[in-house]
Amino acid sequence: MTTAFRTGVRAALANPALQEALDKNAERRRAGWEAAFASLPESEARKRQAAEVRRRTIAELDAHLDAFTAQLQGQGVVFHRAKDGAAACHAVLAILQSHGVHRVVKAKSMVTEEIGLNRALLAAGIEVVETDLGEFIVQLRGEAPAHITAPAIHLRRADVGRTFEQHLGVPFTTEVAEMTAAARRALRDRFFEAEAGITGVNFAVAQTGTLCLVTNEGNGRMVTSLPPLHIAVMGIERLVPSLADLGVMLDVLPRAATGQSRTSYVSLLQGPRGAGDPDGAFERHVVLVDNGRSAVRGSTLAEALSCIRCGACLNACPVYQEIGGHAYGSAYPGPIGSVLSPALWGVGRFGHLARASTLCGACRDACPVGIDLPALLLRVRGEQTRTGRPSPWLRAGMYLFAWTIASPNRYRWAQRLAAMASRAAPGTGGWIRRLPPPMSGWTERRDFPRFDRRPFRQRWELSAQRVEAPATAKEPSVADGSKGAPALPSPPNPLSRPFRSGEGARGARATRTFMEAVERIGGEVFECRSESIAFEISQFLRREGVGELLAWGRSSPTMDGILTRLEADGLRLIEPEVPDGPAEERSARLSRYARMAAGITGAVAGLEDAGTLVLPSGPGRSQLASLLPPLHLAVLDAADIYSSLEAWLLSNGPRWLQDASGLVLVSGPSRTADIEMTLTIGVHGPKRVVVFVVRRE
Amino acid sequence: MGTVDADLFVTCLVDSLFPDVAECSVRLLRRGGVRVGFPRGQTCCGQPLFNTGFRDLARQQALRTMALLESREVPVIVPSGSCAAMIRHGYPELFAGEAKLSARARRLSERVFELSEFLVEVVHWTPSPQPGPAVVYHASCHLQRGLGIDAAPRRLLETALGAPVAALEPECCGFGGAFAADHAEISAAMLERRLHQIEMSGAGLVVANDVGCLMHLEGGLRRSGAAVRCAHLAQALEGEWNGLQ
Repeated sequence: MTTAFRTGVRAALANPALQEALDKNAERRRAGWEAAFASLPESEARKRQAAEVRRRTIAELDAHLDAFTAQLQGQGVVFHRAKDGAAACHAVLAILQSHGVHRVVKAKSMVTEEIGLNRALLAAGIEVVETDLGEFIVQLRGEAPAHITAPAIHLRRADVGRTFEQHLGVPFTTEVAEMTAAARRALRDRFFEAEAGITGVNFAVAQTGTLCLVTNEGNGRMVTSLPPLHIAVMGIERLVPSLADLGVMLDVLPRAATGQSRTSYVSLLQGPRGAGDPDGAFERHVVLVDNGRSAVRGSTLAEALSCIRCGACLNACPVYQEIGGHAYGSAYPGPIGSVLSPALWGVGRFGHLARASTLCGACRDACPVGIDLPALLLRVRGEQTRTGRPSPWLRAGMYLFAWTIASPNRYRWAQRLAAMASRAAPGTGGWIRRLPPPMSGWTERRDFPRFDRRPFRQRWELSAQRVEAPATAKEPSVADGSKGAPALPSPPNPLSRPFRSGEGARGARATRTFMEAVERIGGEVFECRSESIAFEISQFLRREGVGELLAWGRSSPTMDGILTRLEADGLRLIEPEVPDGPAEERSARLSRYARMAAGITGAVAGLEDAGTLVLPSGPGRSQLASLLPPLHLAVLDAADIYSSLEAWLLSNGPRWLQDASGLVLVSGPSRTADIEMTLTIGVHGPKRVVVFVVRRE
Repeated sequence: MGTVDADLFVTCLVDSLFPDVAECSVRLLRRGGVRVGFPRGQTCCGQPLFNTGFRDLARQQALRTMALLESREVPVIVPSGSCAAMIRHGYPELFAGEAKLSARARRLSERVFELSEFLVEVVHWTPSPQPGPAVVYHASCHLQRGLGIDAAPRRLLETALGAPVAALEPECCGFGGAFAADHAEISAAMLERRLHQIEMSGAGLVVANDVGCLMHLEGGLRRSGAAVRCAHLAQALEGEWNGLQ
C-alpha cells in the first residue's frame, strides 16, 4: 500500500492539469466556506452545537438506532442491518433480485463507494447508472471519485468533453452548459426506465425515522421518487437524535461542503408512498451498514465518526491540494480519510496515510463539527508504530534519537559529532547542499543548516551573566491568568424563536426578506394580491408560451381559483399520477410528463433564511410538478413565511412530516458545479423557479 | 515594570542549529524585565517522537522534561510555537487517563509560554521602533492554529518596525518534521507554493517564530537562489536582520 501511495503521489505531482484543478478547488472552496459561515449568525456557536449533536449521537448510538428502526418499522420501511460491506452488498442485491430488478439509478453516496456496491451489482448482471453529474463522469471513465463532494474535481472540461464524445456520442465541446445538457438528456430515460433507485443518506432522524438527503442537481429527488423501489444505504453513524438537531446540521453541512446556505434540494423522506399519493416509491428499504464502525466507537478514534462528509478538510488540506484524492487509494481521501480508512479497515492497510500530513491543523479549523484531526492522525501514527509498521529507517532513527536526548551528556556529544560531520558535508556557508539517506529527500530541493559549533548551552555556560537557579521553589511570579485560559464551551445557542410571519409590519418585512433571498439564489419572485394572482399567473404563462403544464390538485381555495382561471384561459392542466404497473407504461408516462414546459405547485411554507419553499408530498401534491419540467411555478401564502428552517421545524414542520410521506425543501433552481467548478443551472430539476407570493390585505 | 523570573526551554533545534535565536531571546526577555534561567540538562521536548507515533519513547522524554521543568515553579518560555504546543497540548494527551501524571502535565502546560505570547501578554513589553528591511510574516501552523497565537508576534513586529507588516496567507510551508524527509516530494511541492508567495510579497525578509518552518523556508530560498532571507522573530526584534544566516 505504501508503495502504491508513493507511486500515486508522484503521478499526481507530475500532472499539471490535476495541479491546476486542485489549486482552483482549494481557492474557491475555501473562499466559499468563509463567505457561507460569515453569513450564518453566531456561526462559531452553531458549529459547537453541531459538534455536540454529533458527539451525543455517537455516544448514545445504540439507543438512537433502536428508536430509528422502530420508527422505520412503524412507517412500513424495511430495514436491514449489515455487519460489513459484503453483507450490505448482499442485502441490496437480495432486495433487487426479489423484485426482478435489472436497471438501477443511483444518487451520489460515499458509503456505497466504501462497500463497492456498484461492482457487486454489475457482477450480478444489474445495470447501475450513477446520476450525479460528477459521479456519472467518473463512472463513464471507469474511475473512482476523487473527492467526497466533488467526484470529478481532477478533470478539466476538455477531459469531460472527450469522455462524453466517446461514451455518449455527442460532438466534442468544452462548453460546460452543453455538457451538462448532454448528461441531462442521456440520463432522463435512465431515470424513467429504472426499476429501482439507490441513494445514500446525509442524516437520518432517530426520533422520527426521517431520511434526509442534501442535493443540488435534482437527481437525488428523481432517484428517490421515480422508480417504484428505493433503497437507502447508510452508515449506522449517520443518525441525529431529533428534528431540531437536524436543523442544526443542515445549517452547517451545505456551508462547509459547497459554501451554500442551503442546497437546492433537501429531501425529507418519511416512509413509502402514502395511500393517496400520486407518485413516489411504493417500497422503501434502509440498509444500515456497520463495516467497522462499532469497533471504532470503542477506540481512541471514535471522534472520526462525527464526520458529516462535507469534504471541507479536503479543501483546506495543503497535502490534498498537492496529491488529489486518488493517491490515497481509499473511498475516503484527505485528512478525514487518513483517519477513517485506518480506523475502519485497519492501520496495517491504511496507517501510512496518516504520515502524509504536516499536522498543520487547517483541517481542524475547517471541520464544521470540530473534529481534532491532527490529534487523530497522531493517534493513528501511534498505533501504526506500535503494531510494527513504520519504515525501518524511521524506527532506527527514532530509537537512536530517543536514546540520545534521554541523556544530556549523550546529547552534548551528539551535538559535537553532528557539528563535525556537518562541517564536512558539501555546501556553502552555514548550509549543506547534499545529505545521504534518509535525509537525501530534504536536500533534493532545499539546503539543510549545519550544526553550530557552539550550541546555546555552551554559550550559556560561558556567559558571565547567567542567573543561578534558586534551590527552593518559588511561587510563580506572573501567574496572573492573563494567558488565555482554555475557552469554556459557551452555552448552546438559544434556538431562534419560531416565527411565523403573520400580519402587520413583521409580515411585510418577512415577505421582503424572503423575496430577496429567492432572488439571491437565482429564483424569480412576484408579490400579488389574492384577487389578482390567477390573472398574473395566467399572464405569465402566456408570456412564456406555455400551453400545457403539470399541476398540483385543487389543494386550497387559492390553488382552486388559479387552476380554474388557467383552464378558462385555455391552458391544459395535467395532474401527474404514476400508478403501479409495467415498467414500459411507467416510463412512457414519465416521458410524457417530462415534455411539459412547466409545472405549478403550492408551497406550505417559505423560509426567509435561504429563500426556501417547503413542498410536502401527498394527495393532490405531485412531486413531479416541481421536478420534471424546466419551469417550476410555486404559489406561497405570505402568511406562511417563517424566519428559518429551524423555526419551521420547531412549529409546523413535525405535523407535515407526520402526515406526509415526505417533503422537499426547494431553494432555487437545480444546479451543479461538478465540471471545473463552473456553476451550471438546470441539471435534472427545473432551470427556473418562479415564486408567486400571495399578499393578504 | 517589575522583575519576574522565568526559565528558558530553548528547544533542540535552536540550541544546536540556531543558537543566535536563543541569545536574542534571552536579550529580549531581559529587556522585558525577566530574570532568565536556563535549566541545565534540557534536551528535546520529544515532539519528533510523538509526531512519528513513538508514543512510549515520547512519554519517557516528556517525563524527563517535566521533571526538569518542575525544578522551580516559574513560567517556562519556549522560542518555538510547535515545541510550546507539544508541552501545552501534547504532554496532557500523552498522559491522558493517568491521573497523577496528567495533573502534572496540565499544571506544567499552564505555565508554558511561547516567547511572543509571554512578552506581550504577561510582561507587556513593547519594543522601541527601529528602521528595518521589508518584512513579511509567516504564521507557523502550530503557533497560529495550535496555540491560537497570532496577534502577539505581529504586534511586536509592527511596533519594532514602526510600520504595518504584511503577512502571508496562513498556510503550511510543508515542513512537518519527519514529513519533510519521509514525504520529501509532497513537502517540496508545498514549499514551492510558499516560496512563490514569498516572492510575490516583495519582501526581503521572512519572519516567523518557529525555527522548523524557518530552516525549511531558508533552505528552499537558498537552493532556489533567491535573495530573500529568513529570521526568527527574536532576531528581528533584536535588529539581527541577517537572520538565520
